[in-house]
Amino acid sequence: MKSFFRMSYPYILWIAIFIVAPMFMILLYAVTRSGNDTLTFTFTLDNFARFFSDPDFIRVLLNSLRIALFTTIFCLLIGYPAALLIANLSDRAQTMMLMLLTLPMWINMLLKTYAWRGILLSTDFGSEFKVFIGMVYDFLPFMIIQIHTAIAKLDPNLLVAAYDLGANKWRSFLKVTLPLSVPGIISGITLVFLPAVSSFVIPKMLGGGDYVLIGNLIEIYFQQTGDWNFGSAISLIMALIIILAMWATKKLDRSAQED
Amino acid sequence: MRKLIEFRNIVKKFDGQIVLKGVNLNIYENEFVTLLGPSGCGKTTLLRILGGFLEQDEGTVIFDGQCIDNVPPYKREINTVFQRYALFPHLNVYENIAFGLRIKKTGEDIISQKVNRMLSLVNLEGYGKRNVTKLSGGQQQRVAIARALVNEPNVLLLDEPLGALDLKLRKEMQRELKRIQQEVGITFIYVTHDQEEALTMSDKIVVMNAGSIEQIGTPLEIYNEPANAYVARFIGESNIVDGVMVQDYRVRFDDKTYECADFGFRPDEPVDVLIRPEDFKVVKPRDGVMRGEVKSVVFKGVHYELMVETRTGTSKTVKMNVVAQHDIVNREAGEKISANDFYVDSDDLINKDMTDQDFISIANAQAWDDENRDISLTHVSHNIENRPGIYLITFGTEKKTEVTVKVYVVHPEYVEDPRHNIGISALDFFITPDEIMESMAISTDLKTWASAEAWNLQDDSPVEITDVKFDFDPATIQEGSYDITFATQGREYKVETTSAHEAGDRVGLSFGPDDIHVMHKEVADA
Repeated sequence: MKSFFRMSYPYILWIAIFIVAPMFMILLYAVTRSGNDTLTFTFTLDNFARFFSDPDFIRVLLNSLRIALFTTIFCLLIGYPAALLIANLSDRAQTMMLMLLTLPMWINMLLKTYAWRGILLSTDFGSEFKVFIGMVYDFLPFMIIQIHTAIAKLDPNLLVAAYDLGANKWRSFLKVTLPLSVPGIISGITLVFLPAVSSFVIPKMLGGGDYVLIGNLIEIYFQQTGDWNFGSAISLIMALIIILAMWATKKLDRSAQED
Repeated sequence: MRKLIEFRNIVKKFDGQIVLKGVNLNIYENEFVTLLGPSGCGKTTLLRILGGFLEQDEGTVIFDGQCIDNVPPYKREINTVFQRYALFPHLNVYENIAFGLRIKKTGEDIISQKVNRMLSLVNLEGYGKRNVTKLSGGQQQRVAIARALVNEPNVLLLDEPLGALDLKLRKEMQRELKRIQQEVGITFIYVTHDQEEALTMSDKIVVMNAGSIEQIGTPLEIYNEPANAYVARFIGESNIVDGVMVQDYRVRFDDKTYECADFGFRPDEPVDVLIRPEDFKVVKPRDGVMRGEVKSVVFKGVHYELMVETRTGTSKTVKMNVVAQHDIVNREAGEKISANDFYVDSDDLINKDMTDQDFISIANAQAWDDENRDISLTHVSHNIENRPGIYLITFGTEKKTEVTVKVYVVHPEYVEDPRHNIGISALDFFITPDEIMESMAISTDLKTWASAEAWNLQDDSPVEITDVKFDFDPATIQEGSYDITFATQGREYKVETTSAHEAGDRVGLSFGPDDIHVMHKEVADA
């Protein structure tokens, strides 16, 4: 046990340098004013005040949350039946289908989004709908794979037991398969919602120049304006929202388990 | 009792392999029926067909007077306790048991009433809120039983439900299950491969083998009057010997005719004779119906289990001539050579078409140089004829290092034992003390050196030589002549007794006509 623990030292060091330290710096930037040097920090909450006092920023935040939510719900609605269907195939067909599903993931996201741009260019869809289509396309496999894993793990005897106790196929699904695949649904939701809410490539390429989501906002402040302090504050706000969302789904999961 | 279930000529195949070969079986109300047999005998398949989880290829299942072949499992008034329980991990104990009632949209107050009654039936009061995955195996088992019984089925199917439990818990659950069955008063159909479990709990046992039913009967009938050797071997300990039914109430086995309680066989019909180990009484040799020597004793707690040999096997004794080998030295070539005299069976000379290589290995001829490296033997010359007599054989190397030894060609001397239907042969042989001392498994090597073989006189099939008797110590062997006896297995009986005996004791065995059970020979499967 002790030697195992020692083996994790390099990893802990890695995390400290490349994850904890940068996060700490974001926090530091978010609560300070620009023009710091290493010795003097001017602490302030102005960055946050600026964000929440501007209705445009709030609108961008709400837009981001809304499109991520719609994307997640839509992925769940088509992902669950797809996962269920795949889980009921023969072993060989399952492997085949999962490979076909993951195949697009081997292609760079930029390239795929670019392709969608070509397809959607000639349509009359609004910017938000185009972005929505791109997101569903990109994130759907995560949802299907997570749910499929949960369903495939189920003991087939549980369904047999449900039939035995008088439940037909539909009731058995509702009473056994669905509740037992909740962990898969939760992780599918997490894996779709998180990248969707913070995505900046898809809205940038599919939404046209005027369509801005929170990911784009952060990019603008870091890359174009050079205001790292405000950019960090927005990042922090988004991170807090994500943490809140994850905490809520966890809570939901636990209450579902206890039912 | 009313007939509840009827299997009519059920046939089931998996991938072209026949798992059930036309099974007919009636099951009555309130019976505790056990389907007993080894894995792969079709017992679980039959149960799954009744549960509706498998469809038979031929035949019909009648339930309460109705054909249920097309009734889906969720509409059958049958519930199952599964091998691995299959409890719903997302539901607590209470909700697992309530599952079937909720499906039927039962009112909450009735659910609570019934579930609590079930909890007390299986001795799990107060466990309702527990997580099923945190229960012990025995507790999970009880929940599974309660979950099935709460639906008040006419029949409860139990598929090896105690297989995953340890021995002590299994015994406890056996009693528990029997009590529950008597209390709820419905038909239990229980599948197991454990004969003791079947004997303990059942009203009726159905012994299955390779997709067919071998015997149906009460535990007592199955134990005391097994239909054939298969059933006898499967249930309890048994001694089964070949015999002949001379006439009614007279059976002949082991060269003697005994009185028995069985009748209705063809005159001189070959039969299997069963004597249970506990039916023997161990007495003084002169008081016994049979006499024998105790070969082994195993203490079993309440009793001892003895193996008593009442008849020695067919045997053949040969001479082993131990001679120290004298190497022949060829100084010019820097080589040494050696070989043993040997015996050879004149029949083998004809039948086996013996080559020079065979002679080299029988004579253990070998040559080596100053540095102890093996040298191949390049020429063998002999004047051996296919007539008994003494001949000479010479082995030599390329550099003309040679050794000459004697070859004794002998007529085959088989011992034929028509009573036991066994022939045995072995030849005298020459050997060096070194070879004996170096032997890792002396009995096996002695068999090889003497070419000892035994066979069935009727079909020539090989018979194992189980006994090699000699009275020398391989570690301190001296030159000289020794007797070696090779013997086949004699007749051994397994005997249970409460009196202590030691291996080597001479004892008598006695039994009465009622202790013998005569069975028809199993008909070989077509």
